Amino acid sequence: MVNEMKNEVKNEMKSEITGESKIVTNTTEPEIEVKTATEETGDIIIEGTDIVRTFKMGEVQVRALRGVSVKIRRGEFVAIMGPSGSGKTTLLNQLGLLDTPNSGKVIIDEIDTSRMSDKEKGKFRLHNLGYVFQDYALLPELDASENVYISLMMQGKTKEEYEAAASEILKAVGLGDRLHQLPSKMSGGQQQRVSIARALAHNPRVLFADEPCANLDSQTSKEVLDLFKKFNKEKGQTIVMVTHEEWHAAYADRVIRLRDGVNIE
Amino acid sequence: MLEKAKVSFFLASRSITRGNKGITIFTVFVLTLIFVQLVLFSSMLAGVTLKFNELMVNFQTGNVVIEPEEEERYIEDASALQKKIESLPEVVGTSARLKTTGNFRYKEKEIGGTVYGIDPEDEAFVTGVEGAVISGEFLSRPDSGEIILGREVSGGFDALMESRSLGGVEVGDTVELTVSGRTREFRVKGIYTTLYFMADAGAYISRADMEDMLDIEGRDFAQEIAVKTTAGTDEYEIRNELLSLGIRENIRTWHEFAGILRLIENTLGLVRNIMNAIGLLIAFVIIFVVIYVNIVNKKRQIGVQKAIGIEQNVIVTSFVLQAMLYAGIGVILGYAFVRFGLVPYTVSNPVQIPLGAMSLRLDDAEAINRAVLLFLASIIGSVIPAYKLAQKDLLDLIWGK
Repeated sequence: MVNEMKNEVKNEMKSEITGESKIVTNTTEPEIEVKTATEETGDIIIEGTDIVRTFKMGEVQVRALRGVSVKIRRGEFVAIMGPSGSGKTTLLNQLGLLDTPNSGKVIIDEIDTSRMSDKEKGKFRLHNLGYVFQDYALLPELDASENVYISLMMQGKTKEEYEAAASEILKAVGLGDRLHQLPSKMSGGQQQRVSIARALAHNPRVLFADEPCANLDSQTSKEVLDLFKKFNKEKGQTIVMVTHEEWHAAYADRVIRLRDGVNIE
Repeated sequence: MLEKAKVSFFLASRSITRGNKGITIFTVFVLTLIFVQLVLFSSMLAGVTLKFNELMVNFQTGNVVIEPEEEERYIEDASALQKKIESLPEVVGTSARLKTTGNFRYKEKEIGGTVYGIDPEDEAFVTGVEGAVISGEFLSRPDSGEIILGREVSGGFDALMESRSLGGVEVGDTVELTVSGRTREFRVKGIYTTLYFMADAGAYISRADMEDMLDIEGRDFAQEIAVKTTAGTDEYEIRNELLSLGIRENIRTWHEFAGILRLIENTLGLVRNIMNAIGLLIAFVIIFVVIYVNIVNKKRQIGVQKAIGIEQNVIVTSFVLQAMLYAGIGVILGYAFVRFGLVPYTVSNPVQIPLGAMSLRLDDAEAINRAVLLFLASIIGSVIPAYKLAQKDLLDLIWGK
């Protein structure tokens, strides 16, 4: 019963987001592949296979990821850890469709994203993914509520819908009294909560967080991580978080460890 | 489509209302100046053209000129025709003139010019030559053997073509005038300047003296009757009214005498178009630079917008809308400044130019044309940098590269 529901959600999502057949490699085969994958691995929402990412820095080629493969289950809270330069953020960017690997595949909810154009990726991110950045990355000219509902506006929701959704999620992150405050008038912790609210406002399939507590003190970091845990436990929100602090990783269900561009755990 | 436009407008409006006020004020100020520069030359040109026309009407032709029928040398029974014309309520006065070319001689110098034989009292109702006398006096009815010279004939008084003049004739001097082979000496009674070189290249003598020289004494002849109408009267309507009075002579409005003025106007128009093209190019570059600097400062914001799924064309449109709004405010402020500031100021404090006192004249059609061009420049000037930047790699934008 549960599996049926999940498959329904997947199919619904596929048609809602991609709409067109060119993203799915084959219109008949995937159904068989989906079933096989689900049976073998449980409910996998992200599957990264043999991801290679190379950057050119001047004359030098830097191989940030050297064939990383990961699987993340629906509703899982995963931390990506590793020393500086190990490729944590690069991996997050590949999984979150902010960047494109040189080779390898990223499959999200059975959709092979490597075949998507930039425009399709943008549309996919808008409807399915949420991001929390290290430095909050709020738009300084928009107040808290506007920062949250801008993506809902872009989705074509009505004013009533997006204002209500923004208000609800901001209340959920403890900022119900600061709906119309500009980022410049907020503390770092408050800005990061707005950022979390923005990332969650459209009920994304996956929330990606890149060192979300790097600029926060311990107490505020704990509040932010508690929020992540709350959404993970209560709403079944899938979260992929990059961190370099072990106590942050302790909030996660599982840790993916990287070293020199390969996963070691 | 509509939601995309809504998001673009939303981002643009927030950027303007909550963004850097200094940049907004500076951009609007620059665009205001550009618009003023674009309309100023047209306004000056319109002012100069108006001045030229005024000078011609006020010192040479009046509003309407009656000329002899085709193949006739003179208008016969001129005073009766004058009375007939003056019966129209819109007519202020008429002046029947004998007009011919003559040869002036003073000491060793000799030049040609137009000579008018006039009734001084009638002429005073039509042209302002009497008020343009800068030395001596104007003619009076009983005068005989006296002449009024324009400064381009007499020379001196800052004449534009001094070398072609008689080289400094003064009031009281005697000049020789030859008309139709007859030469007579005239005492210079006055020298005038209207600042309009075509009117200043002539001379006035009494009708009686001219009749004598043309050998048509006592015959009520005229070579043209200049008609002055009340202010605001349409010349073409007057022409129709004159025709309905049964006047068979050739009736011409002053517009038909403005050929050389049109030539000058067209030449200045060409210069104006070149200036406008340069002005627009400067406008485009300034808008491009201002928008580019503005956008470069928002590189990371553009990256974040793209990351959360805001489409590239929505982001570009938001910058174009901003530029258009800046241009719109610039146009409104610039128009208000010229229309309600500069133009009224130059009306009450005219600018002194070689033609005399000139005021600016703003033509609304020209202003609309410049506004449209400025809008186009702002669209192109913002689309290029916004599109170029929004197209950059997402991570480069987020990392502010």
